[in-house]
Amino acid sequence: MAHDPYEALYIHIPFCASKCAYCDFDSLAYKADDPYIPEYFEGLVADIRRLAKEGELAHIRTIYIGGGTPTHVGQKHLTSLLYAISVSLDLAQVQELTVEANPESLTEPLVKDMWALGVNRLSLGVQTFDDGLLGTIGRIHDGKAARRAIDIARTRFENVSIDLMCGLPGQDEEGFARDVDEGIRSGVVHMSVYPLSLEKGTPLYRRRRKLSFPDEDAQADMMERAELILTEAGFERYEVASYARPGFESKHNRIYWEGVPYLGIGRSAVTMTQNAMRRMRVRDGVVEDDLDQANMAAEDAMLAMREVRGLSKERAQALACVLPALPAELVRLKERGLIEERGGAWCPTKRGWLLGNELFGALMSLAS
Amino acid sequence: MATDPQHIRNFSIIAHIDHGKSTLSDRILEQTGTVAVRDMQEQLLDTMDIERERGITIKSQAVRVVYEADDGQSYQLNLIDTPGHVDFTYEVSRSLAACEGAVLVVDATQGVEAQTVANAMLAMNANLEIIPLINKIDLPAAEPDRVREEIEDGLAIPADDAVLASGKTGEGIHDLLESIVYNIPAPVGDASAPLRALIFDSYFDAYRGVVALVRVMDGSMKTGDRIHMLATGADALVEEVGVRTPKELPLPELSVGEVGYLVTGLKDVSQVKVGDTVTLVEGGVASALPGYREAKPMVFTGLYPIEGDQYEPLKEALEKLALNDPALIWEPETSVALGFGFRVGFLGLLHMEVVKERLEREFGLDLLATAPSVEYKVYLRDGEVLSVHSPQEMPAAGTYDRIEEPYLKAKVLVPPDYIGAVMDLTVARRGTFVTMNYISETTVEMLWEIPLSELIMDFFDKLKSMTKGYASLDYEFMGYQASDLVKLDILLAGKPIDALSFIVHKDKAYERGRVLTDKLKEIIPRQMFEVPIQAAIGGRVLARQTVKAKRKDVLAKCYGGDITRKRKLLEKQKAGKKRMKAIGNVEVPQEAFMAILKVDE
Repeated sequence: MAHDPYEALYIHIPFCASKCAYCDFDSLAYKADDPYIPEYFEGLVADIRRLAKEGELAHIRTIYIGGGTPTHVGQKHLTSLLYAISVSLDLAQVQELTVEANPESLTEPLVKDMWALGVNRLSLGVQTFDDGLLGTIGRIHDGKAARRAIDIARTRFENVSIDLMCGLPGQDEEGFARDVDEGIRSGVVHMSVYPLSLEKGTPLYRRRRKLSFPDEDAQADMMERAELILTEAGFERYEVASYARPGFESKHNRIYWEGVPYLGIGRSAVTMTQNAMRRMRVRDGVVEDDLDQANMAAEDAMLAMREVRGLSKERAQALACVLPALPAELVRLKERGLIEERGGAWCPTKRGWLLGNELFGALMSLAS
Repeated sequence: MATDPQHIRNFSIIAHIDHGKSTLSDRILEQTGTVAVRDMQEQLLDTMDIERERGITIKSQAVRVVYEADDGQSYQLNLIDTPGHVDFTYEVSRSLAACEGAVLVVDATQGVEAQTVANAMLAMNANLEIIPLINKIDLPAAEPDRVREEIEDGLAIPADDAVLASGKTGEGIHDLLESIVYNIPAPVGDASAPLRALIFDSYFDAYRGVVALVRVMDGSMKTGDRIHMLATGADALVEEVGVRTPKELPLPELSVGEVGYLVTGLKDVSQVKVGDTVTLVEGGVASALPGYREAKPMVFTGLYPIEGDQYEPLKEALEKLALNDPALIWEPETSVALGFGFRVGFLGLLHMEVVKERLEREFGLDLLATAPSVEYKVYLRDGEVLSVHSPQEMPAAGTYDRIEEPYLKAKVLVPPDYIGAVMDLTVARRGTFVTMNYISETTVEMLWEIPLSELIMDFFDKLKSMTKGYASLDYEFMGYQASDLVKLDILLAGKPIDALSFIVHKDKAYERGRVLTDKLKEIIPRQMFEVPIQAAIGGRVLARQTVKAKRKDVLAKCYGGDITRKRKLLEKQKAGKKRMKAIGNVEVPQEAFMAILKVDE
């Protein structure tokens, strides 16, 4: 099928030094010298070459190498992958090239190499600076290692992001506020703040009864506190869980939220392909989503509400052509206090963001 | 050719639930070669899925087996399987009336239990020869001697010759068959007299109309006969007669003493009622067999479709089920909270559960059931008497003289250690203690008078759990008694929710109201706004709870690979909301309407 060009490329590295207690992503603990790792990277490189030849990479403007822990596999594999990328597509048109890293595996030489090979953004999985909490959730680094990793990253990179979590077992609002403060002081320009989600099958889920989790209200308090501290410090909340100093919003993530096609390479990476009529998501050769125009429109409206800029009125009007119930629903959502009109757009309110599933659910079900 | 009644034996197997009745029936079919071992299916006679899953029998069955006895002669044994639950006591009594004997099965590890006593009494009242059988003797915990004593002391049934058997291993089945031939009397009846046959079950078959299970008492019945039902007045043509083996085997006729099926071609099962007498249109008798009674529903509940557009399908489904179940009655009902539905009457709680489950399973309906109610008699000031089946129908306070509610005679059998526990529970449920008898050293029979409305409030489960599962229960309708009853209203977000209101004794109102509001607080999920829950009588609030407003949802990452997952989650959330009933702005889960049943004292 003729499809719109892919504008983002995601590369999945499913290896970690050890699996965290809350993680249900596709990642496995591998020793860095496991023979499967070079084989996997050879596969990635071959895929990139093939896709380049087929012309699928011509419009890529953001790249994200995520995991797992891409930095865990060591310098050699990562640099060969970055090299393959640099020769397969025109890096000059790539505005953002992110590598995800965990504090324990980020070294100075690796930071230098990544920088030299075109990486311009690092995303560090800090989660918290509290050693006790890090132990509880099965992270193998401590707060000190996290601070050190941020410092190393900043020797070369201006654009450094960290992930923080709230709602961890045993965490209180003040402790979480200290994490946010510390993140700001560390000099990063981007922060993602998520509440812990307890997923079935994870070690943390099995231990859930022995742990005391902050309740929903406490989580809501923490999320509101994060916004307060970060906005005072000059960050902007541009997405429900993402904060950035002006100009440092993640371009790659925005592609996911704005209905732009993206290409995924590697095990369990998802590729989104679309044209005007249809949108599909494929993972490991399996079609996971197959959306018609109405469902596409509903999904676009839902995803738009993750961002502070919301859904512009022109876009809403365009979507209403295939989703006639949209205008009335937007009014209803406004009455329920979940969205508001701002600057020619329908934008989520803070309440709408906290009660995201109410808001997203209402838009999603317009198509069915 | 008609079988000589001397070679016919008609019998039932009766037992307390779980004492192994169905397994024993299976073994009899197997050992007489009626059913090849390879065709055996557990609980062959329980044909409904629900019967097999729950290990209960709802519909009666009659199976003919041929047994070559040790005396060298061949006997026709008609095994009538009866429902095993107090809801169906009347049906059981009619099945027993079709027999000359009964095999009383008692579990060798459990001993005599309440329904053992109740069923034995029914069999004795029907003048049946009772063969005691002690089952499950293969179990290590079996105590046949103790059980034998319990049967003799508690039931006054000689048990020296009790058959020792195991439905599991098949041990003792031969002894049982011999005992049936030897001990159970052959049927007596007049082969030359006009036809009189007893209907002990009937059901609707989509292809053949109403099919009845009958026992011929006098005369005979053959294909082509024109028959007349004495109680309902219906006439029909005998389209086919035959027996089950358990496959249907058509025969030219059913003659005196025999048991079999009768195909009438009638379209309405209410024309062919259990307990009615069949005779011939021409030259028939005018006097019916004794014991006919109209089935009377005892428990009433509102059944509402979750989706408003399912009202018609629900009505059609009820009509279809009623084809097979003359005890099922209903009338349309509307609720401000739940919309259009039906007030449905049932023989008892099990009957109610089974019907609801069948409606959902066989007809794909999503139903919401309100808490069950009983039939109250309200004596109005002007002398009129109202029958009230639901709290909504209760007239306003001050317009009536008194309210009467149905009472039961309840019989509880427990080990002596639990007498105190049973006393506590039953007194808390407004029971009046009548008397107590020691059936044996290990079993006490306690007799109570208790309002039916208390018994349908989760009484049996509570009784079981308070006595570590040892207690067993049996009950029968006693009559109406005046009670000081009030209607308790439940308000959500300030609005009374009719479907949640219930009728309660005045002395219990405060406690029930408090516990129910607590319970509803747990059940009703947090909404977008605060939801006060109140229990009130008239305008007076007795108890209050609040469901706090929801502040936050689950927030998860939503990058490239997570969007599909997010979609699925939202779809699931939507499906979850569908399972709830939106009352005004409040999403109320189905359990809320049954919460009153789970109110702990």
